[in-house]
Amino acid sequence: MSGASNAAAMVAALSSAAAGFTALSLAMDRHWEALHGCGNVPRDGQRRLLRWAGSGGLLISLLVCLVVWGAAQGWVAWAGVLTASAFALVLTLCYAAHAIVRIGWAAAFVSVVALAAVLSLLR
Amino acid sequence: MIPILMNRRLGVASRTLAAIGGGYAVTSLAVTALALTLPGREVDRVVAATLSGLAIFPCIVMWSFATRTALRAWFGVLAVALALGAVVWLGGGL
Amino acid sequence: MKESLRQSMAWLHTWSGLLVGWVLFMVFSCGTASYFRDEITLWMKPELHQSSHAVVEQGVAAAQIQNLLQQRAPASPRWFITMPTGREPAVRASWAPPPSGEEGQPRGRRRFENASIDPLTGQELSAARATRGGDFFYRMHFDMHYMPVLWARWIVGICAMFMLVAIISGIVTHKRIFKDFFTFRPGKGQRSWLDAHNATAVLALPYHLMITYTGLVTLMFMYLPQGLGAVYKDSDAFFADLNGGPRVEAKASGLSAPLTPLAPLVAKGSQLWDGASVGRIMVSHAGDSAATVTLTQQDGHGVSNNLPSLTFDGVTGGLLTEADKSGAAVETRGVMYGLHIGRFASPLLRGLFFLSGLAGCAMVATGVLLWAVKERPKHVKANANGRIGFGLRLVDGLNLGGIAGLLIAMSVYFWANRLLPPGLGGRPDLEIHCFFTAWGIAAVAALAFPQRWMWRIQLAVAGVLFALLLPLNPLTGGAGLFTSVAQGLWPVAGFDLVSLLIGCGLLWASRGLGSAAKAPLKARLAKVAA
Repeated sequence: MSGASNAAAMVAALSSAAAGFTALSLAMDRHWEALHGCGNVPRDGQRRLLRWAGSGGLLISLLVCLVVWGAAQGWVAWAGVLTASAFALVLTLCYAAHAIVRIGWAAAFVSVVALAAVLSLLR
Repeated sequence: MIPILMNRRLGVASRTLAAIGGGYAVTSLAVTALALTLPGREVDRVVAATLSGLAIFPCIVMWSFATRTALRAWFGVLAVALALGAVVWLGGGL
Repeated sequence: MKESLRQSMAWLHTWSGLLVGWVLFMVFSCGTASYFRDEITLWMKPELHQSSHAVVEQGVAAAQIQNLLQQRAPASPRWFITMPTGREPAVRASWAPPPSGEEGQPRGRRRFENASIDPLTGQELSAARATRGGDFFYRMHFDMHYMPVLWARWIVGICAMFMLVAIISGIVTHKRIFKDFFTFRPGKGQRSWLDAHNATAVLALPYHLMITYTGLVTLMFMYLPQGLGAVYKDSDAFFADLNGGPRVEAKASGLSAPLTPLAPLVAKGSQLWDGASVGRIMVSHAGDSAATVTLTQQDGHGVSNNLPSLTFDGVTGGLLTEADKSGAAVETRGVMYGLHIGRFASPLLRGLFFLSGLAGCAMVATGVLLWAVKERPKHVKANANGRIGFGLRLVDGLNLGGIAGLLIAMSVYFWANRLLPPGLGGRPDLEIHCFFTAWGIAAVAALAFPQRWMWRIQLAVAGVLFALLLPLNPLTGGAGLFTSVAQGLWPVAGFDLVSLLIGCGLLWASRGLGSAAKAPLKARLAKVAA
């Protein structure tokens, strides 16, 4: 397990979890309102899409952890990854709510790049 | 006012005693009962029983404070203690 | 008392948390620091910053340490060898003293001796200053100090059980655990404290549950010995079964025979384990015909604390036994023990554990502070002159002394390490006395003046002391930041950077307390008094 693939895997896990949490938070009225103004709530279709995308991001994060670090350490790593990315999101929502969508997309982009790196390094 | 305050304080004290004192007694009986009755190698039975005990204790504490009256807490704790005591006695532990 | 489940659990959560909160803050702080105990110890031994950190082949290291032990401890009945890792580059060995009566050792003085050597050159590394290093924090979080370890472990165990009750009751009582998942609203007084407490608790909830329960697991046979007592007549036999060792220790035969070279055994063991490294070597009765060599795998592969081991004949080098496969319960306990100790974790994963540990410290701190914030308006209402009652004042003082005071003490410990002369006798204990003296002074000041300005002072003191560790390091013989980064000496560089971050964070907090919303509070008080 080289240092590079370890680092790439950690980046992939963290960024996909961050993107996932971003989507899940926006599916909540409170945080959608913070972005779009009081009284605005996501439409049903939007909410469902955000929830699916969010869960998907978290799942990808879990898969990366399990594949790279094995069954035992993988679950432990995932719990830590969720904690770290959730904290980052809470701080972002608190102090930079207006940029949340851009940050979410950036996290998704980073996760795709990192996933590609992990897959190529593992081969 | 004062009788109500005293009553409440007595209730809390009573539940605390049931939770901590009674709870530890019940937990030790449960651990003994499990160690004697679980299947498997000796070392595995002891480990499984002790691991369970650590999870049982907080449940007893929470239950003692969740029941409607302190008296119920005591009834519950004593009843479970007696039942487990019987299991231990039958299992040859005492 | 007609209360809903939520209300009764809220009450239980408050009191099970508050009564032991200050002990728990110490346990969490010292425990979190322990994730990097080896790195802290290295920082506290600046003499070692210059020694080589090249990766050495295990066989070479084993041969070097065998050489030293055969010279220094030929008659010792047992050698314990710890192989080098990325975190600890030296080979460490300790050995039991020979049976009493030899070498003029008085009976009863059975003290283990130890040595560390550079794995490449075989040179003994005894020049570094004596210090407990990071191990002080590790021991502190369950053995405390200045008291028999049995008392300390019972106290910490009881507090840990209170903590477990607090966590579970906290989950039951948290009404909007999903809705509030990402919520944090600063600058809103009590609401902000509650948000912070919720966030630090919920976002690392699996960790908090795990660390508390597994902490109890590590000492569970002390807290709940009844299962053991019911099934086993002899606790030694139980622990032998638990750890996979023989029930009866092999005795020396009295016939001498040369010890087989360790290096080929290390290679053989690694090969049998599909390339996994050897972590520890135990040699019994070296030089005797009944000698045995037991290899234990290095951690880092699974999670369990029960690591595979192999036992070889000490004369012929032939494989004797492989440790039995553990049953499910023993394996489960091994995993739980391993999760708590966390030695299996790679640096990145350890960083995540550290982050979660910090969240735990914050959770406990925000909890006790939240209680004081909630209590204050009740006292202001009840007492016309705005004076607060004894209970609240005590909690205020304990909060200040327990949180800010402990942070000051930790920074003073590191300063003492660098300022006390290296050759001073009794250094390790002196450094620890400095820790407690600083904590004592801060605590007395806190209890005397449990006010906002004292918070500002103490947080600022801790902040300055932590931040200045970075320049103090090279000024007192250590590898400064540029040197450590250039040489790849990450433990030392990491320590410097983390100290700087902590220091800046504390200074920022201290500043934040100064410009806080004092005006609205005054207005509120005026309204209440009117």
